[in-house]
Amino acid sequence: MDDVITDIPPPSRLLLEDLNNFTPPPPHLPSPFLVLSSAESKKTLRPSLLIIAMSSPSLHFLHHLSSKTLIGTLVLPEIPFAGNSIEPSLRDKSCNIYTINDADKMIMFVLVQYSVTSERAHAVARVLIGEKIIPQRVLILDSVQSRNFRGKLSPDETIAFKLETSLERENVGDVSLVKGFDYYPSGSVVDGLAAALLSRCQLMKIKGTLCVSWPDLGAPVMSLVKSLLARDVLTGIDYTVDKNYENEYLRLSRRKDRIDSDLYT
Amino acid sequence: MEFHRDEGKQLNPNYSTLILPALSIGNVGQLAVDLLISSLNADKIGYLDDPNVLPCVGNDAYSPSPLGKLALPLEAYESSSSALTIVQQRSPVIKGKMIEYAKNMASFAAANGKKHVVILSSLDFGRWKNVNMSSGLQVYYLSSSNVDGTDAECERLGWHRLQDYNPAQRTWKYLDALAEEGSVPDEDFLLEELGDEDYYPSLPFAALFSCFKAKGLKVTCLLCYCSEGDNIPEAFDMAEATGRRIGLSHDEFHGNGAGKWITPFSWQSVYGPPADMTLF
Repeated sequence: MDDVITDIPPPSRLLLEDLNNFTPPPPHLPSPFLVLSSAESKKTLRPSLLIIAMSSPSLHFLHHLSSKTLIGTLVLPEIPFAGNSIEPSLRDKSCNIYTINDADKMIMFVLVQYSVTSERAHAVARVLIGEKIIPQRVLILDSVQSRNFRGKLSPDETIAFKLETSLERENVGDVSLVKGFDYYPSGSVVDGLAAALLSRCQLMKIKGTLCVSWPDLGAPVMSLVKSLLARDVLTGIDYTVDKNYENEYLRLSRRKDRIDSDLYT
Repeated sequence: MEFHRDEGKQLNPNYSTLILPALSIGNVGQLAVDLLISSLNADKIGYLDDPNVLPCVGNDAYSPSPLGKLALPLEAYESSSSALTIVQQRSPVIKGKMIEYAKNMASFAAANGKKHVVILSSLDFGRWKNVNMSSGLQVYYLSSSNVDGTDAECERLGWHRLQDYNPAQRTWKYLDALAEEGSVPDEDFLLEELGDEDYYPSLPFAALFSCFKAKGLKVTCLLCYCSEGDNIPEAFDMAEATGRRIGLSHDEFHGNGAGKWITPFSWQSVYGPPADMTLF
């Protein structure tokens, strides 16, 4: 049962240290930076589409694309490499960058497999969009954050919403990248890295879409995200997917369900 | 802090009054700004990008049928009928970065022709020393008009200057020093334990007050006491007080009938979803 006294207050409520002008600032951290293959490091990268995956279904699907090429990684200095494997793995704490080339179009994927604090999100967004990488269009895939969602969320119901930059929403001379999704309800917010990325797109006047799905695990949400990517986003792109990914994902979903069970809280 | 204007829009250099909220208990300043933007039918001019503000995005907070217009953490609006600029802040400042944020906001205001800044904020009811409920919610203020914080217009409106304000008090003086360009925080001060007399100058509205003053702008802070809870009634009172202070007439509001206020659409879920009635 929720403890109304000691539970974390809803996001609109501020703690005393949030309201204190003299709270010491956080320790200074070195800036995040990109490490790219020598072929890519000398030029500005201009993908037709940049996909940034943060939700479990999107990470899982894109990780298992066989036809992608690893071109680099984003290093967040406070995240240690210890425990990472030589070959990219979904268990790594990493933020690898891949491409798929199709005719004259380059599509880039970023798989964000570590947690980026809200305080660092602005800096990470700047590195991923608008400096070395200048995409024509951006798609961000994240999960609905229950603490910020003002409606009802049921673990049995799969839902997804989108938010778009002005340029994407007005889609002059083009169609929306993501079709068939309602806009995120007014009154609810998305924060963290996903918000920083979409904000960066808005400010730099780049077509950008943020899709948030719920829940984070399970076959129905995987099916929804896979359908979005296969039907709307990667249409016409020649790619292959490792056949085992669905079984692996379902095993991961079941394992997480057992760990997260609060039946005996 | 960078200002990014919307296509075809620009800040009007002749709008010399700026209204903005300061983060506070109960979020009354932010709620009051929401009401003003909605009821004056203010037009979004652009966004402010500041690395000291935590990121957030959402759907349009005001339209009755939100059509996906993106909302960002810091947005600048203008009301042409009232000739004023309003900045809304939707997410917190990174801990320890309030002074930097206040300096950036003051630089933005000064660079864009603002002469009078009205800061809206609330204070913890637990700190209210002389309880006087006889005349309903009491509005307090702090002004740069006089050294002692008083302002003739606010007094005429029947408001009281912030209790115990003393510009010579060490923390207010320290804030004034920090607000100057090139200032460096005093590490010894930061390590000292703050007492009761340090409470008001430790609050975000005080940082904004000092930084706007340092830029030579006239500043009026409008304050009310509240507790955490449903603070919408305080927001209405604060918005009403703001309208009186800057001389807004009834005609400038777009509410229907006798009520001039338009409640933002996003307020329908401001305190979360309704209770699960299937329990009953």
